[in-house]
This record gives sequence, structure tokens and C-alpha cells, in this order.
Amino acid sequence: MKQGQRFAMLLLLDREMFRQGSWCGETHLQKGTFLLQELLNAGSEYEFILYKHGPFSFELRDDLSGMQADGLLDLVARHPGYGPSYLLTADAEQFLDRFPKTVERFTRPVEFVAEQLGSKGVADLERLATALFIRIRNGMTDAEDRAAELVRLKPHIPEVDALAATKDADQLIGAVHKLGFVSGE
Amino acid sequence: MSKYLHEIRDPIHVFIRLDSFERKVLDSRPFQRLRHITQLALTYLLYPGATHKRFEHSLGVMELASRVFDVVTSNATDDVRRLVPEITNPDEARYWRRVLRMAALCHDIGHLPFSHAAEDELLPAGWNHERLTRTLIESDLMLPIWKSMRPPLDPEHIVKLALGARKARDLPFTKWERILSEIIVGDAFGVDRIDYLLRDSHHTGVGYGRFDHYKLIDEIRILPSEQGSTEPALGINEGGIYSAEALTLARYFMFSQVYYHPIRLIYDRHLMDFLKAWLAEGTLLGAGTFPIDIEGHLSLTDNEANAALRIAASEKAKPGHESAKWILEHKHFRVLYERNPQDVKVYSDPGEAISKAAAIEFGEAAVRSSKPRLKNVGVDFPVRTRDDRVEPAISMSGVLNTLKPKSIDYVFVNPEIQDRATIWLEKNRQNILECAASEEEKS
Repeated sequence: MKQGQRFAMLLLLDREMFRQGSWCGETHLQKGTFLLQELLNAGSEYEFILYKHGPFSFELRDDLSGMQADGLLDLVARHPGYGPSYLLTADAEQFLDRFPKTVERFTRPVEFVAEQLGSKGVADLERLATALFIRIRNGMTDAEDRAAELVRLKPHIPEVDALAATKDADQLIGAVHKLGFVSGE
Repeated sequence: MSKYLHEIRDPIHVFIRLDSFERKVLDSRPFQRLRHITQLALTYLLYPGATHKRFEHSLGVMELASRVFDVVTSNATDDVRRLVPEITNPDEARYWRRVLRMAALCHDIGHLPFSHAAEDELLPAGWNHERLTRTLIESDLMLPIWKSMRPPLDPEHIVKLALGARKARDLPFTKWERILSEIIVGDAFGVDRIDYLLRDSHHTGVGYGRFDHYKLIDEIRILPSEQGSTEPALGINEGGIYSAEALTLARYFMFSQVYYHPIRLIYDRHLMDFLKAWLAEGTLLGAGTFPIDIEGHLSLTDNEANAALRIAASEKAKPGHESAKWILEHKHFRVLYERNPQDVKVYSDPGEAISKAAAIEFGEAAVRSSKPRLKNVGVDFPVRTRDDRVEPAISMSGVLNTLKPKSIDYVFVNPEIQDRATIWLEKNRQNILECAASEEEKS
């Protein structure tokens, strides 16, 4: 995937997440991209590791900076007490016009991810995305084992929330299959 | 009981102090090698004073890391102590202070000759200077030193703090380890950055790089990354926001005036060409890349490369002769094209398109390009307000809110064809970009 196509995919995701009520901070975009790549085979090839608030890619952070540099995204402080949001600039829509195939390819997957994540706050995203990370990367099948692993990795998450997040992750993967998306799991 | 026995004079920090255990690291071969690795590669060809070495920079990073550690641990509030309880145990805190100092001291020991300039294409796939640093920290040369300390240091802890999570992805980091690595390599207040800005500014004579680092360090705190977050981050008290702005501006100016100055970038490119040819020669090193074994790495510094450069410049038959001449006779390539926002609106990677087209038109030997990694100048970080809220820095500071990252990309041509190439580009620029744009989605 070329840089321009990655940027177009991220702009679509950001725009759709915003429409679905997401705060569109870096954490929201990191977790949304993680889902797109790992469950929906986006082909973006970011390397995700467990870092701040769960799965995180430094290369994705670089791309977000690159998009700011190219005038496609603005980092905006929207409300006291909350982190800044990435919002599309006026030039971003023109940029997307140059990538009709990419827009067509990613519209449905992006809508799916935005529907799933758009209303979630940072704490919810951390739990869900980390639970997905454990299922995808660790190959553990038993839900309780995965919940225990989630607590081990994120000790501030209560056991009951960890188990709920593990089940949410399973449901999400089920929805990916049901809707006919090709899961990267 | 270790004591601070050794004092080293330093132009930036006045005195840097080490105890006898730490002195063993200073005296080790990997660290002494840094006396012969310039901090800024060939920048001295533009700024003659810039001949300082990684050796003194590493000492400076250790000094600043200690200061930041002392400030953030002695000023941690209850909410932060809950996030990183390691602070509350004095023995643990003492251990990690030592680990931090040693990680700071060793964070650059893997650098190749001429530091960053030579790295990208001159190591085998999968290698970079951070991996070499790690190899050295975990080597038999350094392990006895870590073991001899009281208490002994775990080399993996040193590696994590010296490299940070980005470069040590296979290692799990606790929140505490993340914060400590941020003290060294962090985007916002990493002391690696603070020292190199101050030191490079001092030696280049470019005053823009200076800022009130005393005030800045005094106000650095561990804070929740945002209000109510369980993720700690390095942030600052509201009273330090002006010095944080000054740091950000210093970085912005140093990148535009020094680090990404086009002439510096083209010298780096010529140096890269020369080193590739030298390494491929076969008689000295043979592999076409710098060695990654410990003895091979320790045997090569700027001195060996500079000697080869001088010989190659004077002997036509030597590999890399042309590049060596361009460097030593100051006949570097000239800027043909610089990336700009208007062209980016037509095609995402205009420098690449123009470089390729120019190489077809004038031959590959006459064209070079340089696209250094994007540096995000306007980094966001948490700020503790006077009424005890945590706010993002960009909502507190118009300066930080205004500064945007800038992508740098230059295409250079041989001075002999510069006029012709300029006319050619003027005539063909739009067409080149539009053709490239039409192919952009076809991969």
C-alpha cells in the first residue's frame, strides 16, 4: 500500500469515526486502524505493539504527523480536560477525490469500524483493542485465560471488565465473519 | 559504598559527576570509541565549530537524565504515585536512577562512523545503531561492569531505557520503564534532545537552539497523559509552559537551520555514496556494509573513514573517488527541487517523481535526493494547571498549537548541469507530477 493510499484510508476512518461521535484523538485512530488492519485485512502493514492504551503503532503516529505536514489533518484542542482531536482539513476532501478506488475499497470496512468504536471512550477502547490483540497474537482460545492475560498486561483493568472485553472482542470477530468481511484473524 | 569521585568539565553543564562504578563504563572500549564519532557528521563543513563528539553528548545526557529523575520523583503527587508505585520505594528508586544514568550514558554507543549520516543503507537488513547499542550493552565487554555495580544492574533494564519502546519492540515495558525511557528518548522532554539542542547550538554558533533548560527541567512532572487517564506521561507544570515553548521553537529552528539544511543533507548523501563504495571495495571490509560484530564495530570510527576519504579524493582509481572529491573540494550537488505544499496537492510524493524523471533525463549519476524522516516539532504533552487540572499542551499554548510538522524532501543535481536542469524542471514540473498522480492508485 502506497503512502497516498494509506493517507486516504486514514482520512476515511477519521471522517467516519467523527460522524459516529468519536472524539478522534490519537488513541481512537490507533485502535480503529488496528481493527481495520488486523480484522479486515486493510493491507496497511503498520507494526502494532502493546503500548499506550493497548495496540499502538509508531509508524501510524508518523503517518498522522505526515498528514498534518501535508495539510490533510489538523490537531485541534476541542474541550478542556480532553486530549486533542485529529480533524480533516478542507484540503482533505480534495485529496480523497484523487483516490476513488481506495475510497470505494474502504468505505464499508471503515463504516463498520466506526460503528463499533465511534461511541467508545479511551478506557473502553483500551480494553477491547487489547483483548483483540491477545486473541489475534497469542492464539489463546479460552475466554477466561484471555481475560486473565488482559489483567496481567493491564493491571488497572478489573477482572470483570476484562472478561466483558474479551467477550466483546469475540462478538466483534463474529460480526466481521457474519457481515462477510474477510477476517485477518 | 560508592562515592561521587570524578568530575568532568563540560561547556554546557559545567560539571558532570560520576562515581567509581560509573567510571568503569566511561573507561570501557565501547564508550571511549565515542571520542572519535562526530555528533553532526559533516556539518562542520557548513558550521566549522561543529566538530564535537558523541562522547561529551552522552555524558550530558546522563547528567540531564539524573536531574529530571530527581525532579520528577521528588515532586510526584499521590495520583502519580498510584500510577507508578516504584517511586515510593527508596531502594527501588535508587536502583532505577542508576539504570537510567547508565542507559543515558550508553544510549549512543552503537553509532556508526559519522553518526546518523551513514546508517540507512550501510548496515545489513534489520540492523540499525540501536540494535548495535543493545548488542554492546549485552556483550561480554559490558556485562561484568553491570554485575560489579551495587546492586548489580540488569542489562535488559538498561537496554529498555536506552532504546525506548519504539526501538526495543520485543521487550515488554512497564509504565515505570516507559516513563524512564521517555526521560531519555521521549518526544516531548527527552534529555537526549535537550542536550543535543543545547550542545549543537553552542558548537555551531546558531543561537536559536538555546532555551532555559534549568526552568524547564525544574517544572517537568510525571502526569496522567490526560485528565483521569491511567497512562502516565512526562508533562509539565503550567509555570513551565514558556520554557517548553522555547524548547519546541529551538528544535524547530535547529532543524531548519542546521540538521535539515540542504547543504548538510547533500554532504550526507555524498558521504553515503563514498562509504558504500569504500565498504564494497573488498580489500578492507569486504561486506559492502559496516561490520555488526563487536570487534569490527569497535575498530571503525570517523578517523578510519576520514583517512580513506582523503586518499580516495586524491586517487582517481580509488572507489568513491568522485564523492570524496565533491566533499573535500566543496563541489557538492545543488538544489534542483524542494517539496512544497502546492505540489503535494497534485501528487503525494513530488520529490520522488521529480527525482526519477531527472534521473531519466540527465542520468542517475547526476541526480541525488534526500528525504529525512519527518520530525514532529509540535509535540503534545500534558500540563498540570495552577488549579490542578490536566490539560493538553496545545490547548494551553498558542505557540505549540501553531507549529506543524514539516516534511523535507530535496532533489539535487550536479552543478555542471544545474542551469539546464532548472530550465527543464520549469518546463516539465506540472506534467511530471500529473503523470505520477495518475499512477498513484495503480499499485
